[in-house]
Amino acid sequence: MSGISWHYVLKFIITGDAGVGKSSLLVRLTDQRFLANPDPTLGVEFGSKLITIPEENKVVKLQCWDTAGTESFRSITRSYYRGAAGCLLVYDVTSRQSFVNARSWLADVRQHADPHLTCILVGNKADLASGDAPAVTLPSDTFGRQVSTEEAELWAKEEGLLFVEASAKSGQGVQEAFEVACRDILRKVREGVFEDDRSPGVKLSKPLANGVDLNQQSKSTQCCGT
Amino acid sequence: MDFFSQTYTALRGPTGAQQTPEETIARLADRLSPDSQLPDRRAAVLALKGLARKHKVLVGERCLGGLSRIIREDAILDPEIARAALEAVTTLIDSSDTHSDQREAASTNVELVLKDASFVHSIFTLLKDEDFYVRYAACSLLSALLASHPQTVQAAFLTAPDGPARVVSLLEDSRDLLAREALHMLTMLIRKSSEIQKVLAFDGVFEKLFGIVTREGGLEAGQYAEEALQAVDILLRFNASNQSYFLETQLPSTLCTLLYFNPRVVPDEAVPQEFALQFWNHNKAQAASHVLDIIGILLTAKGPALREGYAYTRLLIELAFASNAPTTLKTQCLRHLPADATPMLPEMVVTPYMPVPETNGEEWDKLEVATALDALIELIMHGEYNGLDAEKRSKVGMDLRATAVDVFENFVRDSSVKEAIVAGMLPPASAGPSARSPVTPLLFGLLTPPKPPPERVLIVGFQFAAIIFAHLLRHTPNCKALARQILPPSPVATNEVAGGAFFVPADGRPPPAAPEPIPEDDDDEAQTLLQILAEHLSLAFLLRSRDTWSTHDSREWDRWIIMHLCLLSQWLWEDPKAVRMFLEAGGMGVLVEQVNQHSETDVVITGLCAFLLGICYEFNREPGEITRATMHPILNRLGPSTLAGRLTRLREDERMKIVQPGYWVLPCPTPRSLTLGFMSRYEEETEIWFDWSFVDFWKSVNQTVIRGLMQDPDAPPSSSGTSQSGESVLVASLRDALSKQALEIDDLKRRLKEVTASQTTVRCAVARELEEVQAELATEKTKRAEVEKEQEDLLVLLDELSDKRKRDKQKMREAGWEVSEDEEDGDEEDEE
Repeated sequence: MSGISWHYVLKFIITGDAGVGKSSLLVRLTDQRFLANPDPTLGVEFGSKLITIPEENKVVKLQCWDTAGTESFRSITRSYYRGAAGCLLVYDVTSRQSFVNARSWLADVRQHADPHLTCILVGNKADLASGDAPAVTLPSDTFGRQVSTEEAELWAKEEGLLFVEASAKSGQGVQEAFEVACRDILRKVREGVFEDDRSPGVKLSKPLANGVDLNQQSKSTQCCGT
Repeated sequence: MDFFSQTYTALRGPTGAQQTPEETIARLADRLSPDSQLPDRRAAVLALKGLARKHKVLVGERCLGGLSRIIREDAILDPEIARAALEAVTTLIDSSDTHSDQREAASTNVELVLKDASFVHSIFTLLKDEDFYVRYAACSLLSALLASHPQTVQAAFLTAPDGPARVVSLLEDSRDLLAREALHMLTMLIRKSSEIQKVLAFDGVFEKLFGIVTREGGLEAGQYAEEALQAVDILLRFNASNQSYFLETQLPSTLCTLLYFNPRVVPDEAVPQEFALQFWNHNKAQAASHVLDIIGILLTAKGPALREGYAYTRLLIELAFASNAPTTLKTQCLRHLPADATPMLPEMVVTPYMPVPETNGEEWDKLEVATALDALIELIMHGEYNGLDAEKRSKVGMDLRATAVDVFENFVRDSSVKEAIVAGMLPPASAGPSARSPVTPLLFGLLTPPKPPPERVLIVGFQFAAIIFAHLLRHTPNCKALARQILPPSPVATNEVAGGAFFVPADGRPPPAAPEPIPEDDDDEAQTLLQILAEHLSLAFLLRSRDTWSTHDSREWDRWIIMHLCLLSQWLWEDPKAVRMFLEAGGMGVLVEQVNQHSETDVVITGLCAFLLGICYEFNREPGEITRATMHPILNRLGPSTLAGRLTRLREDERMKIVQPGYWVLPCPTPRSLTLGFMSRYEEETEIWFDWSFVDFWKSVNQTVIRGLMQDPDAPPSSSGTSQSGESVLVASLRDALSKQALEIDDLKRRLKEVTASQTTVRCAVARELEEVQAELATEKTKRAEVEKEQEDLLVLLDELSDKRKRDKQKMREAGWEVSEDEEDGDEEDEE
């Protein structure tokens, strides 16, 4: 690795109904594998990944917390909103209900999070909805697509959310979802929305010249090397 | 105060009549209602705060509701009332009172206020109040609530809006008093709640905690830094999610720098002296102990994949072997050293230090460099700083050596390593028949002869030598076979050589250094190590039997004898050749004599003698002078049931009973019952009787030995019989199957090789033949082509000739010569 480590550390959270595949998305992002039968997430799990945004010439370190979608943990999940820079609001394209509930999750986000938080709506399990989807043994009500791309896109537009459909199983759209969100945050940074580190979820890795951060720079170089 | 007394007077009324506390409190309680003016409420709260301590029950009953409402509603507006109300509630729930009824009242009050989660929420909100005293009072109240009802407060915390961020921001409060109180509260808040641990990590609590440590000046800051590190420990210990996050930050390397260790150290780089020699005091040691624990957590959790893995391992090894760190920290280092890091030991070079005598730890001598493995063996054999305080057998010192034995055990887990070490103890093969084994520190320790009076330091040294030697031999037939060939040099030479080896860092890493020139003084035939051990054992019995020893000295002899018996029984088990050697060295007589004694000698010793005798009988399978048949009548005379009884009594003994994995350095004296008439020489003295590995070995084979004692001399070895316990039968059968399979595999491999070889030759031959045939074919082809060409040429020639003939015939006909027609016709017909 050359001297570059990362320019920003961004805190992300993943939220949405239970069983929409939040943990799987995180595992897909960080480990490039599919988590077939995950236990329901109790509390929050953590993963991180370096993402390069070529057009900004920036490397971003994504720190992602995966939250529990079950109702009983909802109030705990709220504790995470305030500190986050980005939020993946996930629903399941094969479950109408999860899409409907996304509204209440969004309300939560709006109420507790930083107003400049970037939120991206992610329709997961897109692989099950595509025409030639293999017949997978699933509860009957999750068969086939129940939320059309157009409808979700429209709602996202109304609410000012970014939108992407993804599949943690095939990997389609997963990295994209995070990248799109990162770009949006970087744009906000560029436009000066966060006045010097005002968002708790965005941390600037201080430039080398500063000297103070020398340690972090070289350390992170090592990290990327291994 | 002025304000307070005015209010009090006002409340008492103009009449000046004395009011009862009940009346006053009732009146004050009324004033708490939102109907009164804010100043009135404030005055009432202040007054109640004063009364709360004395009248916990009354104020609790009447006013707690009002106070909690004020905290929920008014506190945010008025710092003064907020502080007073918080302090009043803190007093009401304070259970440190000496009176039991007051304590009871306190616990009732706590339950009352905690009924409503929004009350706790509002306290969390007040943590961010602008007024310092309000923040402080809120923090103290939370601490008090957490101390009595942690779970309720934790549950409320998780639902409190913005709670985590508020708690975290308290930690960076510029006022020390508050930051300390916040740290105290945090430590209670995060206990046993992984949810809270995670959410606080998300909000940056790690960074803040390390911020405190560095701001305070590192580990030297003492208790404050210690508390912060303790919180980090709690946040990480059972929390995989937090561990992953923590490793993402730059904090793991900070753990190294806190101890002045370079987190990016590379293998050939020496460690600076400022790390090796530090100023230590109690507080710093406590704080450093947390750092080591955290390192241990991370190493266990992430293994070799850890980015700082090398630095951590190096730090642990350096601190353990080459530093002036307190002994307990060194023990901790060895305990946290991962098993998979032990292969580094022979390669890593360390520079041990020794305190200069009488400088009170202020001056240190640098010793010669040594490999970490040598330093480890040195530590086990002699103790810290070359046995400076080994005489005292202090708990910390003995624990360190025992932990070092565990590290050694990890190091020799692979039997090839064991074999290499034992092979290094053999006389060098190249040096001819008169060669003797090189005296390594281990061998030197094993050869310690029993000399009156018993020397405490030497005896412990022998115990440790025997323990690690037993680790090398136990259940390892190859090592036992090698060990039988160890031929130590004569005692004179031993003392000379080892005299040097005793005071320099151990140099016993196999393969050994150049063989020592041994003076030829062959008065009698050289003895093997096993023979020497047998001789030392009988000598020790002889010395022990003198009745001039004090209780202390007798115990030392017992210790000495017991360790010999332990080592021998582990060696002789399943090794008939060693049994033969032992019996021929006169071992039988010694054992029988001891078992036969009815005297009040130590039950453990007679038990172990019977145990060893049983092993000898069981594995006496080599032809020789003393056979099973000669042993049988002797055993019969002793009585198999007596022998079995001796073995059973051994099991009952406390010295063996309380030994557990990781716990075999016992308080002195063990058994406890001795304490009455026995005073240990030093305070906190400890002692060793058995190590866990031996106890484990003993438990697994004891039944077999007891059964073996009853067997007929002609009975087959029990390992192949059915008399063994299920597990060992299973192990034996598996081992059998394994060896059969290994043989089979070898056979198959050989056959495969043969088949491949023959196949190759066949293939070669075929290829060669093919080549020949092809060559032949090619020549044939060219031949044929030539022939064809020739034929063609001939045909052309023939054609030309017949043409010419036709012309000639024509000419002849024209010339009027008679020409044969038939031929021409036929010719033409042919051509057509």
